Amino acid sequence: MTAVAGQTWAAVRDAARDARRAWGPTQTAGVCVVGVAAALPWFAPDWVHIDELAGWLYLALAATGLVVTVGLAGLPSLGQGAFMGIGAFATGLLVARAGWPAEAAVPLAFVVSLVAGILAGAVVVRLAPLFLAVSTWILTWLVVLVALAFPGVSGGAQGYVVDSFLGTTGHYELALVLTALAVAAVSALRRSSIGIRLRATRDRAAAAATLGVRRDRLLLGAFAASAAVAGLAGSLAVQLQGVTDPNAFGPSVSFKLLVAVLVGGASYACGGIVGVAVLGVIALVARLWALLQAGSSTGVQPMLAAVLLLVVIGLGEVGVIPLLARLRRRVIPAALEASPAHGRPRGGDGGAALAARGLLKRYGGVEALAGLDLAVAPGEVLGLVGANGSGKTTALRALAGAVALDAGEILIDGRRFDATSPVQAAEAGVVRTLQRTSTFGSLTALENAIVGASLHSQAGGALRVLAATPKSRAEAREIRAQAFDALRVVRLDEAADDPAERLDGFRQRLLMLAAAFAARPRLLLLDEPSAGATVADLGHLGETIREIRARGVSLVVVEHNLPFVRGLADRVVVMADGSAALLD
Amino acid sequence: MDLTLQIVLSGLAAGSVYGLLAVGYTFVYRLTGIVHFALGDLVGLGVFVALFVTAGRGAVTQDSATSWRFAVGILVALAVVVALGAWSYFGLIQQHIARGSTVGWVAATVAIAFAIQSLLNVVFTQPAYVFPDPIPFHDAGRDGIVTVAGATFQLRSLFVIGLGIALAAIATYVTRRTRFGRGLQAIAEDVDGAQMVGVPFDRYVGLAFGLVGALAVVIAVAAAPSGPFSVTTGTLYGLKGLVAALLVGFAAPGWAFVAGLALGFVESLIASGRISGHGLGPSYREILPLAFVFLLLALRGRVRTPELE
Repeated sequence: MTAVAGQTWAAVRDAARDARRAWGPTQTAGVCVVGVAAALPWFAPDWVHIDELAGWLYLALAATGLVVTVGLAGLPSLGQGAFMGIGAFATGLLVARAGWPAEAAVPLAFVVSLVAGILAGAVVVRLAPLFLAVSTWILTWLVVLVALAFPGVSGGAQGYVVDSFLGTTGHYELALVLTALAVAAVSALRRSSIGIRLRATRDRAAAAATLGVRRDRLLLGAFAASAAVAGLAGSLAVQLQGVTDPNAFGPSVSFKLLVAVLVGGASYACGGIVGVAVLGVIALVARLWALLQAGSSTGVQPMLAAVLLLVVIGLGEVGVIPLLARLRRRVIPAALEASPAHGRPRGGDGGAALAARGLLKRYGGVEALAGLDLAVAPGEVLGLVGANGSGKTTALRALAGAVALDAGEILIDGRRFDATSPVQAAEAGVVRTLQRTSTFGSLTALENAIVGASLHSQAGGALRVLAATPKSRAEAREIRAQAFDALRVVRLDEAADDPAERLDGFRQRLLMLAAAFAARPRLLLLDEPSAGATVADLGHLGETIREIRARGVSLVVVEHNLPFVRGLADRVVVMADGSAALLD
Repeated sequence: MDLTLQIVLSGLAAGSVYGLLAVGYTFVYRLTGIVHFALGDLVGLGVFVALFVTAGRGAVTQDSATSWRFAVGILVALAVVVALGAWSYFGLIQQHIARGSTVGWVAATVAIAFAIQSLLNVVFTQPAYVFPDPIPFHDAGRDGIVTVAGATFQLRSLFVIGLGIALAAIATYVTRRTRFGRGLQAIAEDVDGAQMVGVPFDRYVGLAFGLVGALAVVIAVAAAPSGPFSVTTGTLYGLKGLVAALLVGFAAPGWAFVAGLALGFVESLIASGRISGHGLGPSYREILPLAFVFLLLALRGRVRTPELE
């Protein structure tokens, strides 16, 4: 018993230490804002309407959910209002027609919108961004038209009267707590390896796939989570209103939420709430204007909101937070203690043995690979050279599962290797870097490496990250250390906190190499690593590749620079017309 | 008038309008690779600018059709919507297309839509307005309906259908045969490549957006007199037109127009069709086509363009 208690105590102390380490001025400011806001109902003057503030906060909750879809996943969703509506109508039906208690309807409405989000997400995340926007737009209209056409769903023109289990102040406090929790959750997810992988596939889907990022699954998770949060907000908002209104959750809400997220700053956890605050100020201005004109403010407010968005978009999609951040750029240190040597491949056997026989790939009448045979011994560096069009890149793509072969077999350590996608290949320990320079531009160098390092993550799921389980925190530390180690191997550790897009071309290629190495491959396939390198860079690159080999990785290096590859590789294969013409 | 006839007539009347908008969406998509979410609202803007010039915020009757103010109104509407169309590209959309940011231009076009809608909401407060018919179809036949050799037609729908076919033909001609259209298609396929071979990118795309504005006004003048026009009518027409264009996957302007006609007919059939006394009823009129298009998108699935490595 005491042993268990001791362990628990140690875990709690550990968690407290981690929390203290992550705490900064931003967190203090956040807690202060929430504290002051929570006390507001007791000292606010009469002209502050707590019920309206609660309504705005529920909107901010839905907007914070949308940050995940629009900001982190980069999906142009016009469907957030639809999920808010689904949550609201589900609540109306449960409370007013089925006679459920209001507090029981909330979790069920959450589940209903989560399921709706999963079903719709399964359809839309596979689409091109353009068609994702169109299909979510149609979904929004579908929900509002169903509500209008079937009075049974929405309660018709009168609406259903929905009882609430909370008073106005109760709603306000609940909305505040939920919104604060949502912002904290999005912030935690954004910085976790799952959030980093999400942003990586947003920036460059193909490069992320070579590092084993399962794009569709991540996007679906982001979309469904957004939908569930919106449903929760809708369920509570309709209880605050007290009555269902078929027009209340239509395209205009979808639009308003998108406005909020873009005005606030799409890829920041606070973007939604800041954007909604801006919209709230606009509403206030519109009301003052209407007071002066002795007219109604209902029409002016949406017009000002639309005009504001036009201005923001005209300025180039720059939100409030990015603007503030640009004014005062703060450098966050990586805060990493020197870690012991990580990066030993699993198994630690000095790299994989590759044997490829009779690889055949036809494109129409052209044989890109015409029965290619390749062999790599464990820990060997094989150079692959040849004229343009001789099939070097196709060979690498075939080895990494990116090309479906017409014939031939690939053996890794004597076992048949039949990955049908780059993701599968990466998971099996075969990682390829792309020929084009393709880092994840908006991520820092360290985050780029984390995309690779989190490939074999076991405890990095969204729920574990949010619960901050000891296992997930320990793993996150390990992943960071592994990523940092990979940066050190390519000597980019000094630039760990720089956004990748600010690095020069060669250093971006080094960063690609670091991200690939961080994924702990047993066989690394490099497509022209020396492109754009100066003579001094070549020496650096050669040492880096030798260091990676020394860490127990076999390599196949496609190169145009013959002297470089001769100095580097144990053997060089010359390719011509899709097969190995000459062994050097 | 028997039920079948009524279904066909009302279906064709509505469908021809959807078809016009579908042609518009397809035209924009083929030329620029974007879906202009504000197209329906541009039509609404054209209608209400013309009304505003004709009679301020007051009511307009069919009698105004021959007044010079109405003619001026249509010209002003043309100028305003074309200018707005071109400005929307240079001021808002251009930078986002250049950066390849879908979120940016989607938000831009939707914001234009809502800005127009909310502006109209502030200025025009009556539930619906009459847009006078520049061509007096109502004087012909029996209240605009003529019977030729046993078949009955609504003259106005015939006119709109003719216009739709003509517009589809023009749109096809412009995209396929002119230097302008081919240049734009080259841009839509490969921006850098098109610029390299000397296609004046910004001028062409800006012009295309202006043309879209002109198209919206033509649609407005042709479609608005069909029935009472409210502030949201344009938006709804836009939605239906988008559905029709999606049905044929933005394939060709001609097919988009046919899809619009079919959509109008199906809506009318859903609303009033009866098979041995049983029918779906008007509640399903708008929902079923939307749900069908959503499923169609789901089944087509693979619309994601493969990424360059």
